Amino acid sequence: MKYNIKQLSVFLENKAGELSDFTHALSTNGISIKSILLADSTDFGLVRTIVDNPEKAKAVLEEAGFSVRFTDVFGVKIEDIVGSFDKVVGTLARHKINILYTYSFYESNTGIFIFSVEKERFNEAITALQNNGIEILLAKHFY
Amino acid sequence: MTFSKNESLCKDELQAWQLKHLKETLVRVYHLVPFYKKKFDEHGVLPGDIHSLKDLAKLPYTKKQDLRDNYPFGMFSVDMDQIVRIHSSSGTTGKPTVVGYTEHDMDVWAEVMGRAFTMGGVSSQDIMQNSHGYGLFTGGLGFHSAAERMKIAVIPSSTGFTSRQLLLLKDFGATVITATPSFALHMAEVALAEGYDISKDFKLKVGFFGAEPTSEGLKNEIAHIWGIDYHEVYGLSEIIGPGVACSCKHSHLLHIQEDHFYPEIIDPKSGEVLPEGQRGELVITTLTKQGLPIIRYRTGDITSLTRIPCRCGRTLGRIESIVGRSDDMLLINGVNVFPSQIEHVLSKQEGITLNYQIIADKKGYMDKLEVDVELDEHLISDDVSFLGNLKKSLEHALLNNLYINVEVKLVAPKSLQRSEGKAIRVLDKRTK
Amino acid sequence: MIWSKEETLPRHELAKIQTQRLQESVARVYANVPFYHNKFKELGIEPKDITSIDDIAKLPFTKKQDLRDNYPFGLFAVKKDAIVRIHSSSGTTGKPTVVGYTKSDLDVWNEVMARVFTMAGVTSEDTSHNAYGYGLFTGGLGLHYGAETVGATVVPSSGGFTSRQLMLMKDFEATVLTSTPSFALHMAETAIAEGYDIQKDFKLKCGIFGAEPTSLGLKEEVARVWGINYCEIYGLSEIIGPGVSSSCFESKDLHVFEDHFYPEIIDPKTLEVLPFGEKGELVITSLTKQAFPIIRYRTGDITTLDRTPCRCGRTHVRMKSVMGRVDDMLIVNGVNVFPSQVEHVLSNIQGITLNYQIVADKKGYLDKLEIMVEVTEDMPLDSIGALEKIKKTIQHELLNNLYINADIKLVEPRTIERSVGKAVRVIDKRSLS
Repeated sequence: MKYNIKQLSVFLENKAGELSDFTHALSTNGISIKSILLADSTDFGLVRTIVDNPEKAKAVLEEAGFSVRFTDVFGVKIEDIVGSFDKVVGTLARHKINILYTYSFYESNTGIFIFSVEKERFNEAITALQNNGIEILLAKHFY
Repeated sequence: MTFSKNESLCKDELQAWQLKHLKETLVRVYHLVPFYKKKFDEHGVLPGDIHSLKDLAKLPYTKKQDLRDNYPFGMFSVDMDQIVRIHSSSGTTGKPTVVGYTEHDMDVWAEVMGRAFTMGGVSSQDIMQNSHGYGLFTGGLGFHSAAERMKIAVIPSSTGFTSRQLLLLKDFGATVITATPSFALHMAEVALAEGYDISKDFKLKVGFFGAEPTSEGLKNEIAHIWGIDYHEVYGLSEIIGPGVACSCKHSHLLHIQEDHFYPEIIDPKSGEVLPEGQRGELVITTLTKQGLPIIRYRTGDITSLTRIPCRCGRTLGRIESIVGRSDDMLLINGVNVFPSQIEHVLSKQEGITLNYQIIADKKGYMDKLEVDVELDEHLISDDVSFLGNLKKSLEHALLNNLYINVEVKLVAPKSLQRSEGKAIRVLDKRTK
Repeated sequence: MIWSKEETLPRHELAKIQTQRLQESVARVYANVPFYHNKFKELGIEPKDITSIDDIAKLPFTKKQDLRDNYPFGLFAVKKDAIVRIHSSSGTTGKPTVVGYTKSDLDVWNEVMARVFTMAGVTSEDTSHNAYGYGLFTGGLGLHYGAETVGATVVPSSGGFTSRQLMLMKDFEATVLTSTPSFALHMAETAIAEGYDIQKDFKLKCGIFGAEPTSLGLKEEVARVWGINYCEIYGLSEIIGPGVSSSCFESKDLHVFEDHFYPEIIDPKTLEVLPFGEKGELVITSLTKQAFPIIRYRTGDITTLDRTPCRCGRTHVRMKSVMGRVDDMLIVNGVNVFPSQVEHVLSNIQGITLNYQIVADKKGYLDKLEIMVEVTEDMPLDSIGALEKIKKTIQHELLNNLYINADIKLVEPRTIERSVGKAVRVIDKRSLS
């Protein structure tokens, strides 16, 4: 469980000011966004975010009227060299583990990729990557 | 010109006809439909107690809910092998409203529609494009069968496919159109956008419109833009379908075919019969139907009734174009929708709450219905396609239950407007 | 039960009627339809040259393209005020195919449809659930009036709304189902998924199915899953609509109502008439139609004819269930689609090329059509909104012009496979075995 990062998925209606209401709820409660991915469809959006205090974030967002869900994701550290990301994705592909989505951010010259895979194969994915010499981020890194 | 002599009987003749057929109908339902026997017995009234048309007021009302409670065939007064046609419209929740016709009922229907066509001056020389929906609704086949019996050529174009309809309208040279008023305007708009010259390209001379409340201004606009005579047709499947009443060339009011459908106007609250000229809920008793005779059916439509003679020579009473509803029923492009039906569909879906708002609006000239639904407070999936599918499956279920396209909008919990804590369920933005 | 005595006439009497009616039809088109008049002249034929039904081979063929060239009413043999009904289906490109009926034509249609329902054992005791689409297509109204003619109760449910249809079929205790075979299977699948007990909840005893090519296996599946007699019906709007032929209880083959519609089988290449039993293209001549008589119409359907007597007592020739097409026409959920029509629609839309591929497949038991289209080089592929809009436009236009629902998949330029430089336009993954 030490690798399970609690990502927040938040439903947003596709209208002006909606995202700002969301970020405002977090900032006024002293919650810091570490990474964010905004998936859009024409009618609504889904924000996926990693914050420094997920439990508190969920509480304040729900207080503000948002629907929130926790999803377990894991983070992978990637050096800034050609082929490193390919190695991660290739490893998952060889194990036929489907990536639901992935997004990334930089942190002091290191790339961090967040991965969401099917729940049943979460641990298998981590083991497979570690066996291939890939570093998985500890969840407490964010908190 | 009238279609049949019953349209211009003198008052005494008409009332004698009505009373005779009313008595027959009451005997029929009392003996053949357990629902009516029970109801009449409870009210302590027997068919023999009815000696005049005024005595009708002694009889109990029939409501849409009664049809639902006796679903599917409990209100029929003949065996099924005499039924030649079944139609159905949406009910209040879950089960549809079912109506059945004998061969004789089909004759009555053709007769009253024949009168409507004749009011519009239509004959066997004409070509009619029928843009009412075919199938279980009474609109399409109601116009179709009656026109065919009068040897009017019919183009059964049904609804939708506007460009194709315009192509056929032009190339086949239809002289008569039947549609909902909003579809007629929508067609005109598309015709202009597609470069048709309406006065040159089309041969229309008359249109029969109905199935939705329509303002005088809108009617004039349709008549003007298409260059046609506008005739309004009123009807509902519980009584027979289109053809219960129709406007003639001399009046905007609609002659009600009261030798077949006896009208009363009541106060929807007190249930008292109102005097001529006063607005209230229209109540109809069928006088000649066999498959599904119906006694004092509360239509839910608000109108008034006058028996002032009409210049056309018809002595049949006239009703106003429908001015409103006594219940919360919405009419969307000619289809009846009850908020309770929508709630019924929503209640079966996981992932959403029953906090919803129905928004009726116009898109161009057509009605559009949107349902905003609050999501479950705890988002049940992190998957964008799950939410997309949720929307699709709701839209699919609504289409299957209401027969209309509804746009579903998923909204955040507690985001729908409430007035003093109470949700506003229906927002009708269409102006009359 | 047999509806009318014409169905059991001895062959020589039938031939006499056919000869007489052919002579009348030929005289009618020669006198009233310039298209035929000119064609006959070119071939040096006059109505008096037709002295027996076998002389039909002297007459020219009529093709779908001829209907299009004479759009809308050029092939009608009566004045417009004698027309009481118009139907139309999609044409080859742009303009629809139009057919008209006089009162007498509708009587003929009701007559042959009554034969069909009677062959299926339907009487006034029955309730017929009609799930064919109503409107301009001939299916819905054709089956509707047939059921009405034999006095059955008709439930005009039209297409779609599967759950609702099942509810009505159960609650109204329908004994007859009329639909496409694939919709019948789709309904069965949905019924099971929704927890119906098919044997207990439904009272169906027979079904009248048609409008799409159907394998024997699929027919048996429909009959088995619903526990019904499977009756097949064949027809096309150019001839009259459904009711050109149908199958009796004794045979899987379809009796052609040849006192009204005279069938021949030809070699589609040499156009020679083939002997009984040989496979070729079905050609039909209408013998009694007034508004829209048609001479030697090439249906494009491949089948065989069999004149050996049938145990049911009917003397009318039997055709096999249609085995294929001579052209590239696809039938998708009962709707005819030509690739040329799809191309015509695509050619009017901005942002895409004419490199496309039509993939016909099954989704469950229903047909589904997917159309892959390459976008133009300058199309911004990262603008999801713009791509969505093109997709919706194509879908809308296909529905409006061809009455079909298609999934549209926009792909990058030069991604659709080409075989030896030539694009493969149609892939039909549905098998007919």
